[in-house]
Amino acid sequence: MVGAEVPAPGSPNQLDGLLFPPPALPHEPGRVREYTLTAYDRDIEVAKGVTFPAWTYNGTVPGPVIRATEGDLLRVHFKNAGSHAHTIHFHGIHPADMDGVFEVVERNETFTYEFPARPYGMHLYHCHSTPLKKHIHKGLYGAFIIDPPTPRKPAQELVMVMNGFDTDGDGENNFYTVNGLAFYFAKYPITVKRSQTVRIYLANLTEFDLINSLHLHGEFFRYYPTGSTDFYEYTDTVMLTQGQRGIVEIDFHNKGLFMFHAHQSEFTELGWMGFFDVVD
Amino acid sequence: MASRSVATGRRDLLGRWRVLALLPILLLAGTVSLFAATGSSLVGLIGASPPQPDEFDIRRVEFKAGEIRIRVTNPQRDELTIASVTVDEAIVPFEVDGPATLKRLRSSTIVVRYDWVEDDPISVGVTSSTGIETSQEIAAAVETPGVSGGSILGYGVIGFLVGVVPVAFGLLWLPSLRRAAPNWLAAFMALTGGLLTFLAVEAFSEALELQAGLPSPLGGAGLVLLGFALSYLTLTAISHGLAGRGDASRTRALGGLALATLVAIGIGFHNFGEGLAIGSSFALGELALGTFFIVGFMIHNVTEGLGIAAPAAEEKRSVGIWVLAALALVAGAPAILGAWLGGFLTSDLLGVIFFAAAAGAAAEVVVEVGRFVAGRAPGGLSSPHVLGGFLAGIVVMYVTGLLV
Repeated sequence: MVGAEVPAPGSPNQLDGLLFPPPALPHEPGRVREYTLTAYDRDIEVAKGVTFPAWTYNGTVPGPVIRATEGDLLRVHFKNAGSHAHTIHFHGIHPADMDGVFEVVERNETFTYEFPARPYGMHLYHCHSTPLKKHIHKGLYGAFIIDPPTPRKPAQELVMVMNGFDTDGDGENNFYTVNGLAFYFAKYPITVKRSQTVRIYLANLTEFDLINSLHLHGEFFRYYPTGSTDFYEYTDTVMLTQGQRGIVEIDFHNKGLFMFHAHQSEFTELGWMGFFDVVD
Repeated sequence: MASRSVATGRRDLLGRWRVLALLPILLLAGTVSLFAATGSSLVGLIGASPPQPDEFDIRRVEFKAGEIRIRVTNPQRDELTIASVTVDEAIVPFEVDGPATLKRLRSSTIVVRYDWVEDDPISVGVTSSTGIETSQEIAAAVETPGVSGGSILGYGVIGFLVGVVPVAFGLLWLPSLRRAAPNWLAAFMALTGGLLTFLAVEAFSEALELQAGLPSPLGGAGLVLLGFALSYLTLTAISHGLAGRGDASRTRALGGLALATLVAIGIGFHNFGEGLAIGSSFALGELALGTFFIVGFMIHNVTEGLGIAAPAAEEKRSVGIWVLAALALVAGAPAILGAWLGGFLTSDLLGVIFFAAAAGAAAEVVVEVGRFVAGRAPGGLSSPHVLGGFLAGIVVMYVTGLLV
């Protein structure tokens, strides 16, 4: 299935805000980076014609991409406009009282998380209220990128958060997606240039079935686990458990349509599948 | 003058009482609309109502070459929309033959192009727009027979074999029964009563079982009672007609050919249900129609022929071969109709009604047979021959039923 025949929700460019991260800023220790996240309850369409009563940061699942450069002072203003108590728990290095575990933010309350961004790499954030499983699978999570002091080489940058939706509450996911819409990138393939490296900030936030994976057709890529060192693996398939993340760098040799999907066939056929359209 | 005014007065009074009889209905309508107008605010005093389950009922799954057809019904009060369809837990493109948004108790057929694997287990799932999935496992995917000359003939032959043939064979006991001593004939009549009682109980439990599988607003034990009462009362009326011919008190019990006809009708109802069950189980791949199965049914149903022959043996006039043939058809041919209906249509609602009707018909005929035996049998209902015969009828049906 590719293109118009794919049963996918959404419209062209609808996911651009989640797929394309804000640009990296040069290293400037002490600079303040401010973000505002608000928790909302929202019914979102996760598969064609199927709505899910989600809990969101800023109205989308996953939430917005938070990006800083190592050494920035990160200031995240959190407002809870949802119907339950929430928090934001960031992965990375930070003080104990900024961890999003003890400082539970009740309905209509606010909290400001403030800490220096480190270490560089691909991270993530999610709600850590209990019951944890419920607060994660309802949709409270997102990608959190910290850029290294020495900028990475230029690339076409993408963010992919792998997740699942249990729409009927039986403890099993009915749909799997990247960035929240089942089969979206099969209906609207991601166009990339062959001459330029493609860099994917990849995270797994799938609940219930905790292991997820990315497999790319017709090509190999460098996979940097967590992206905090120069170590990489040269492969076409990576496996991540919930909370694991890393950076994928692809130099396409050929042009044309190349599929990418979870190499769990079940996930693939329940929505976690898409295409790159490689052009010159 | 005076008498006329009294008459008019009476008419006025009658008219007034008629109007007054409408009062409870008017009051009810008023209260209902008042309650409806308040919306859920009255219920809100107690608490919030739970949400509707938003689950479809999957009624029938058919397999055609390169295609799966899923018949779904909305069993709940609120509308339901078909949003996503899965086969073996994989989302598949689909078309809906009918509306995708279904009002209460409405049905549509989902058509999925799919290269299914013969004889493999397969599951289908239908997800509503609120994300609730209903799934159904099919033990083995087998092509569903379509309506063709071959399949019409095939179901017809099966119905003929399990319905008409054994009943006809059983009727051939008639000449022997005619020569039987009165107490032995009474024993065979009682046997008829026993086997009909067995059929009634069997059909009744089948009807109850089937109704439990229906969408809850359609099902219910009341539906079974309705089918039962309809056939019981219809047969009561028919037997009144056959016996009384204007004699309202009808002290005389029905006997001879008339009773045999009634028994045949009762058995015919049952065989219709049997055909329906065979046809639909086979069409849905739930039943292997082996030789053993057919032979088992034939042996089981031979007894039914005996049941018709016993009262016919009481007939004073001679009973011609054509009459016997007609009796065999009345009792057996409904199996053919049932097999067609079950094989080609979604028939779970019909199944309930017909099994309930079969129970009602059999029960009514048991009453008629009982009446007859009470009046004719030497020693009445409590003679050893009658008691033994009745029990033998149940035992024979149970034992031959094990063959199926």
